[in-house]
Amino acid sequence: MAEWVYPLIAPFIVLNAILGIVTYVTLLERKFAARMQSRIGPYRVGPHGLLQPIADAIKLMMKEDVVPTAADRPVYILAPVVFLIPCMLIFATIPFAPGLGVADLNIGILFFLAVSAMEIVGLFMAGWGSNNKYALLSAMRAVNQVISYDLPFIFAALVPVLLAGSLRLSDIAAAQAGLWFVFYPVIGQLAFVAFIVSTVAAENRAPFDILEAESELVAGFRVEYSGMKFAIIQLGEYAHVIGASFLGALLFLGAWAGPGPEWMGPIWFLLKAMFVFLVVTWVRWSFVRIRVDQILALSWKALLPATLVLLVGTAVVVVWRTPGV
Amino acid sequence: MTTAASPSRVEIDYTGSERLTMNMGPQHPSAHGVFRAILTLEGEQVVGVDAVIGYLHRCHEKLAETLTYAQYPSIASKTDYVAAMTSEFAYVRAAEMIGKIEVPKRAQYLRVIAAELQRVASHLLWLGTWCLDMGGALGGGATIFLYCIRERELVLDLFESLVGARLLYGFYQVGGVRYDLPPGWPEKCRETVDLIDRRIDEYQRMLEENPFFLVRTQGVGVISRELAQEVGISGPLVRGSGVNFDLRRTDPYSSYEDFDFRVPVETGGDCYARYRVRMVEFRESLQIVRQALDRLPEGPVSSRPGLKSVAQVRIPKGEAYARVEGARGEVGCYLIADGSAKPYRMKWRGASFSNLAVLPHIIPGHKVADVVAIMGSVDPVFGEVDR
Amino acid sequence: MSDVQTAADVRALRDAAPRAPTDVRVIIRAILGAMRITLRNLFRKPVTVHYPDKERAYPDRYRGLLALVYEKDTGEEACIGCRLCEYVCPPAVIKVEMLKSEKRNYAKTFTLELYACEFCELCVQVCPTDAIVMMKSFDLSTTDRRELLLDKDKLHAIGTQFEQSWATGNKLRDMQGPPKMARAEHGGSTEAAKGGETAGA
Repeated sequence: MAEWVYPLIAPFIVLNAILGIVTYVTLLERKFAARMQSRIGPYRVGPHGLLQPIADAIKLMMKEDVVPTAADRPVYILAPVVFLIPCMLIFATIPFAPGLGVADLNIGILFFLAVSAMEIVGLFMAGWGSNNKYALLSAMRAVNQVISYDLPFIFAALVPVLLAGSLRLSDIAAAQAGLWFVFYPVIGQLAFVAFIVSTVAAENRAPFDILEAESELVAGFRVEYSGMKFAIIQLGEYAHVIGASFLGALLFLGAWAGPGPEWMGPIWFLLKAMFVFLVVTWVRWSFVRIRVDQILALSWKALLPATLVLLVGTAVVVVWRTPGV
Repeated sequence: MTTAASPSRVEIDYTGSERLTMNMGPQHPSAHGVFRAILTLEGEQVVGVDAVIGYLHRCHEKLAETLTYAQYPSIASKTDYVAAMTSEFAYVRAAEMIGKIEVPKRAQYLRVIAAELQRVASHLLWLGTWCLDMGGALGGGATIFLYCIRERELVLDLFESLVGARLLYGFYQVGGVRYDLPPGWPEKCRETVDLIDRRIDEYQRMLEENPFFLVRTQGVGVISRELAQEVGISGPLVRGSGVNFDLRRTDPYSSYEDFDFRVPVETGGDCYARYRVRMVEFRESLQIVRQALDRLPEGPVSSRPGLKSVAQVRIPKGEAYARVEGARGEVGCYLIADGSAKPYRMKWRGASFSNLAVLPHIIPGHKVADVVAIMGSVDPVFGEVDR
Repeated sequence: MSDVQTAADVRALRDAAPRAPTDVRVIIRAILGAMRITLRNLFRKPVTVHYPDKERAYPDRYRGLLALVYEKDTGEEACIGCRLCEYVCPPAVIKVEMLKSEKRNYAKTFTLELYACEFCELCVQVCPTDAIVMMKSFDLSTTDRRELLLDKDKLHAIGTQFEQSWATGNKLRDMQGPPKMARAEHGGSTEAAKGGETAGA
């Protein structure tokens, strides 16, 4: 195969796969949430609701695209795209099997964390471009929240980096061949919990979703979007959640390690990512939400110091256990 | 405060901070009914509330003048449609007070059973919608909402096998009740009551120690004891502020004095105290239902013969005010009868109407997100407010 | 602002309100407790009934659609056109015209506006011949409101189409009211104010 074929095909496959997974993950979430609420989720569209995401996608495509007259048109129209791109880009560095990934950078995790924080730009553009006071206020709060929780997210994600000794994601996955990092005594579990909490908060999922629903009694920074633009924003949000789930599965749950032949590796990876996603969903459907000031207080006063201490403690443990340093 | 403010007017007061008038319009994300609150905000804090009601006015009081005593109880359910049994109760009691009509013991016990089961159903809806407001349509609030609705359906199934209808009953009539218990109903009722008791344990475990819930409800919407006594609110709102006032105890009617139950009183005055009052009321209502089923006497269910014509019930001249302890507070009916088959004048004292008067006293000073929590704990039903 | 509730009162109450627990163990236990309950419900059977493929069992006294029935022994229409149901209906949706005949009267026309009906069962209760009854079904949805203006033929058709519910006029009247013996003693009085008894309601 020529040199240039692989870098063209792999991203194409990965992007389409992500789109497919994201659409069906919405169905998974709906059915899981429904079962927790003593009901069945989508059931009639296709057998057991399997065609529901397709119906939703077609519906969103057919909806009228309303642009507010006073909106800042370039900013308004570009915002969903700018929001979506980082959320898709984070899948570039994730290796789905040893050697099978789009770009296995040697600063893989740094790339992931940096790029995933860039969605804030798209978010704020959406709030600004809508020319709506409440959208703007909510976008400002969203930026505030995402930034506040990105720091604990980074610190929690750095614990496996310290334990593995490398920033390259495939190295981190390979280092878990003996013991998954989540089973590492005390440090692993604490880091995993901190990772989950920061993920939930950094993506505006309940119980930290004061912006997604009824923020100031309107719908947050997405209020002026309809039709396909709204679909793109939703896609971006879910892609981010799935990306963080994959990262969590890779950092803590051993990525493709699992019983069975080697080609089962990506399947195990997918199952573990879905497990992380279901934990996030489980948290979402169990709690009422808290106010913005309480969310920020939780991050700055509790989570950030805790993860900082955890990181320093991990460093101490690593140095102590490495012979001859 | 002016009520005709347009939402885009901005006032700047002498401290230099900008005041924003925001409309929490008749169509709400928080499902309490049609209610318009014009909030004046200073940044994030609410400094003033103007309540605008009347979107659901359906002329009940005039309607009562055109319908006879036999026809109106079915319509009376529609004032407080969430707790329909207690609304009918007040009207029927008022007519019986004027006409000095005796109600047989069995009918009194049946009325108590219906009223208490209705209180349970109403509080289930309250809990569900309150958590829905606080938790959002997608999220933990929706989970608790669906659990509460699942249990409320069981109570409504009981009513359906008793009366035939699920929401608006027409169970009470002047002189007693219209329906007797079908065979097998007491056993099914006991089973349902036990199941609901167990499920309420689950809700309490989900909410009571939950730091997210506590941090949203404690210290929020405080009604002091003096305010509670002055403003004219009733029901769980006063009992959450330390005033021990329950009509079933202070002014017993329909054999309530035969039953052994506790009246919960909390002194906190905030949303959490009102929540605790209602959670205890759940259990006490279930206890009352069990006691009533155990001691249900035999006998007729009405002291007047069955309805044969529309003008059968005639109440002599007189006036009376009858009040019952509804799920939201004191529901009262003031009736002036003139000897014919229709009342001369009827006035509803809606519990939610008087309860809403407390809002301008307790909302200012809170953030906007707390407004929904406070509205939910006040638990208005706009059928009662606007009639 | 409020004159009655002073700021000091409110502050005192707010400070006295119990604070959310800050002990980490308590918080974690509470959070895990709540999540355990949602997990438990995950494994409970859903309560959904797959309507319209399956229907749930309606109770005997279900107040569904209204219908006119025929007499059991003679097969004639049970309605005698007495118009008692028309007078008792609170939203006045029933209109009847009587047709006089030698042995008994009939209803010449009988219209019932189902879209305005409240399903309060008062018409069933007053009917002296058990002619108008309610069914154990509500399944008459339509896209055209005019189809819900039921005339006599449609009402009879509904009566044969669905299952009838338990309540008829005579059964309801027998259920209510004092037993027949006591009524005979009182002379069948329909006036109010019996004796000097105070209201026990």
